[in-house]
Amino acid sequence: MKRMRQQQRLEQEPPRIKWRIVLTGLFLTALYLAVGTKAVFLHVVQGPLLSQKAARQYQKSMVTQGKRGTIYDSRLQEMAVSIDTTSIAAYPGAVSAPQETAQALAKILKLNPTRLKKKLSAKRSFVWIKRNVPPKDVEAVKALSLAGVGFIPEHARVYPNRTLAAQVIGFSGIDGQGLEGLEFFYNDHLKGHAVKQIVMTDALGRGFDAERKILSDYSGGNIILTIDRSIQYIAETALAEAATTHCANSGMAIVMAPKTGAILAMAHFPLFNPNAHGEYKRDLWRNRAITDPFEPGSTMKIFIAAGAIDSGVCTPNTVFYCEEGRYRVGRNVVHDTHPYGRLTLNDIVKYSSNIGILKIAEAMGRNALYANLKTFGFGEKTGIECPGETGGLLTAANRWTRIDMGTIAFGQGVSVSAIQMVMATAAIANDGILMQPRIVKALTDNNGSLLQTFEPRKIRDVIAPETARTIRTIMSSVTEEGGTGEKAAVDGYTVCGKTGTAQKIDASGTYAKGKYVSSFIGLAPCDNPEIVVLVILDEPKTNHYGGLVAAPAFSKIASETLNYLNITPEEKLQPDWNRRMTIAKMTEAEME
Amino acid sequence: MSQDNRKAISFAYDVTLLFPVLFLVGIGIVMVYSSSSALAMKKYGNDYYFLEKQLYFAMAGIIALVICRYIPFRVYHYLAYVFLSLAIILLIAVQFSGIAYSAGGAQRWLRVMGVSFQPSEFARFAMIIYLAYSLQKKRDNIRVFSIGFMPHVVVLALLAVLILMQPDFGSVAILCALTWIMLFAGGVKFLHLLSGLLVILPAGYYVLFSSAYRIKRLMSYLDPWQYPANEGYQIIHSLMAFGTGGIWGSGIGKGYQKLFYLPEPHTDFIFSVIGEELGLWGVLIILLLYLLLLWRGIIIAKNTEDLFGSLLALGLTIAIGLQVSVNMGVTLGLLPTKGLTLPFLSYGGSSLLVNMACIGILMNVGAIKTK
Repeated sequence: MKRMRQQQRLEQEPPRIKWRIVLTGLFLTALYLAVGTKAVFLHVVQGPLLSQKAARQYQKSMVTQGKRGTIYDSRLQEMAVSIDTTSIAAYPGAVSAPQETAQALAKILKLNPTRLKKKLSAKRSFVWIKRNVPPKDVEAVKALSLAGVGFIPEHARVYPNRTLAAQVIGFSGIDGQGLEGLEFFYNDHLKGHAVKQIVMTDALGRGFDAERKILSDYSGGNIILTIDRSIQYIAETALAEAATTHCANSGMAIVMAPKTGAILAMAHFPLFNPNAHGEYKRDLWRNRAITDPFEPGSTMKIFIAAGAIDSGVCTPNTVFYCEEGRYRVGRNVVHDTHPYGRLTLNDIVKYSSNIGILKIAEAMGRNALYANLKTFGFGEKTGIECPGETGGLLTAANRWTRIDMGTIAFGQGVSVSAIQMVMATAAIANDGILMQPRIVKALTDNNGSLLQTFEPRKIRDVIAPETARTIRTIMSSVTEEGGTGEKAAVDGYTVCGKTGTAQKIDASGTYAKGKYVSSFIGLAPCDNPEIVVLVILDEPKTNHYGGLVAAPAFSKIASETLNYLNITPEEKLQPDWNRRMTIAKMTEAEME
Repeated sequence: MSQDNRKAISFAYDVTLLFPVLFLVGIGIVMVYSSSSALAMKKYGNDYYFLEKQLYFAMAGIIALVICRYIPFRVYHYLAYVFLSLAIILLIAVQFSGIAYSAGGAQRWLRVMGVSFQPSEFARFAMIIYLAYSLQKKRDNIRVFSIGFMPHVVVLALLAVLILMQPDFGSVAILCALTWIMLFAGGVKFLHLLSGLLVILPAGYYVLFSSAYRIKRLMSYLDPWQYPANEGYQIIHSLMAFGTGGIWGSGIGKGYQKLFYLPEPHTDFIFSVIGEELGLWGVLIILLLYLLLLWRGIIIAKNTEDLFGSLLALGLTIAIGLQVSVNMGVTLGLLPTKGLTLPFLSYGGSSLLVNMACIGILMNVGAIKTK
């Protein structure tokens, strides 16, 4: 019996084993089914959600600022350009070894490793490590292929002429925002559009597969200035020379084309380098020719004379008694530097008699005087396209005392900006037509096609053309021998001008002894003026007479500019070729 | 009766086995290149680095398959103890000798002639042969606890402890499951197997929670999205890969997760890359190929009259099937992360070689037909 059962069991065994083998197969099939089910679940049901999450991982959306537009001078030479650079950034989440990464980066980029490590372990998705890194260093960092370190294409603003016209052009900050000067004023036009870019990155934070959009599509527009780089250089050189020679605190010079109102040069001293603006004092940054009012002094006299002649109050030959240099007005006494007796209007301007011009002003009357100054544009902003413009200070006529009226006539107790002074003088040069001063000639888009041109714009007729010519004749006597501005004379051209020497008001509100603003305003050639030039020196120490301090700089600027502009000399047609060539060479060599 | 049961040996290749294997190896080569090129470029400056090596291994694998196809499987019957001893020696060697090297904190690898291989893989093979041998030998008394069950568990425990010292929990888990299934198929009393589970489960529980990194892995398995930056990182990126793939996939070579998001995209996580680039249809086709392989193996095991051959075929089939299930389960977030490769698809010389040799042996077993 027992044997039988055992026999039976033995025979039953194979089927049982086979059955168990099939069961095993079914068990594994069940496992495969579980896998397949989960796969369907992930692919189909959770697919959209998961792929979204994944996209968030490898798609890094980056806001890139389009390239900033270029600033050109009137001959399309670059004054401010943006160049492509690379900045290094990190995605702290993807940085695997902050300590090692920080050390490696700090070594190449010369940064503080401790601070860098803190940055790399910050709980932020993005941190800048260093902006605008030199290509050599970028390559060195790339070679390390550090996890979580990225390279961001950016733009850096470069001012190829360094200090040239720095105050006019201004500068822009690291994020492509204009901060000073025209960069600030035209920021909206110049700045590139912000572009949101989706960059695919691998887990090491390295971008790949990014169909990089051509950034020029998003770059800003360009501006073309009326300023000519060469004239600017001429003005800056002459100004710096004068300011250094006479130990002035600061100085300004403006060259304008009177017929169009175009500013050809706007020079400042001292200069700063906008490529490294942080290394200079902030108060050097602003365009003082636009923003800073000053008391003009005797240069104001030409506008009083013009008004007096134009309104018919007097002629150039009307004689005034100049009180032998001392004239009491109420409780105040007005002085002339040299005592004069009877002078014609012509001579009053030529010898710059305060008493004489005061008497002319009194002859005109306060309302006519005020209206005359207003019509020349004083006491009002010119509307030039520069930030922070001042309108100067010209109090209303009904608040003037008698002495106020007198001092205003010789340019004290009234303040003007350099641009106002140039604009008003240009009206005399332009046969009495006041032109809108312009510093920007045109705006173009990023392809260079014109968007807008600024045509010369007449503001109003200020004086009759004959009056303007008369005043120019009077002014031309200033630069002749014996005039206050004989040092302003230019070889080969007739020059009209006027000196100015104004005492400065110190902190206490009274006129400070020994502190002057010395200036010279002039135009040339007299018959058909092509340029108006203003030179101002603040607190020259060696001498304070505008005729001695500012006139020589005027002469230099006017002479070289007229040469540069190919204005035919009126007399003594002996072009000094050697001299001209040297200037041209110098200009070119030093501009480079 | 005995005359009708005459054995005949066929020299033809079993196409039902050969087709899925070659198909899988082919897909594997393509996907190894797709998933490893970025990594290879970064590490070796040559994006073909892993592709070239995989091609050589595939050729070696085919040769191994052909050789094993013609080695009579009975040979292993006599080598059972030799292999078992060799496996134990190798497992000890990997612990102490200088030729071993570690990867990822675990000492699992031996490098022989420039090819690194895992002794635990060989131990699995040795265990299959030993079990097939032993179960066949003890077939008459298999239902006796001290004969049919105990000795096998002792051998298993010895190997398991040695492998755990590396440590390689995944391999141990597969080895245990494999042993359990073979004992079950070999006719061991079900009650004994259940009692075995009662011992193994607490032991497994202890092992699981005895190491901090295993706890972390377990926690991240339960909720990977809680640990997106560290423990859950791998699994999250694997899930993302499947999700991104959708039904039709992003196209071969166009996946993103392999770009340093997924760790070891060409070995442990190649299935995720397939999920992303080939999509659901690719995943299901591969699953189908493995299913074909599995049932072909099961049928060979079922149809073989020789009990040793039958159990050997079953063991080889189950070993591959278990590894496929575990690897896929891990990549799909069904199981905690283990360092296991996907047979035939993953990059890896020794595993491809061994797996193809196994198919050769399986073919040899299947070639003996009952007339």
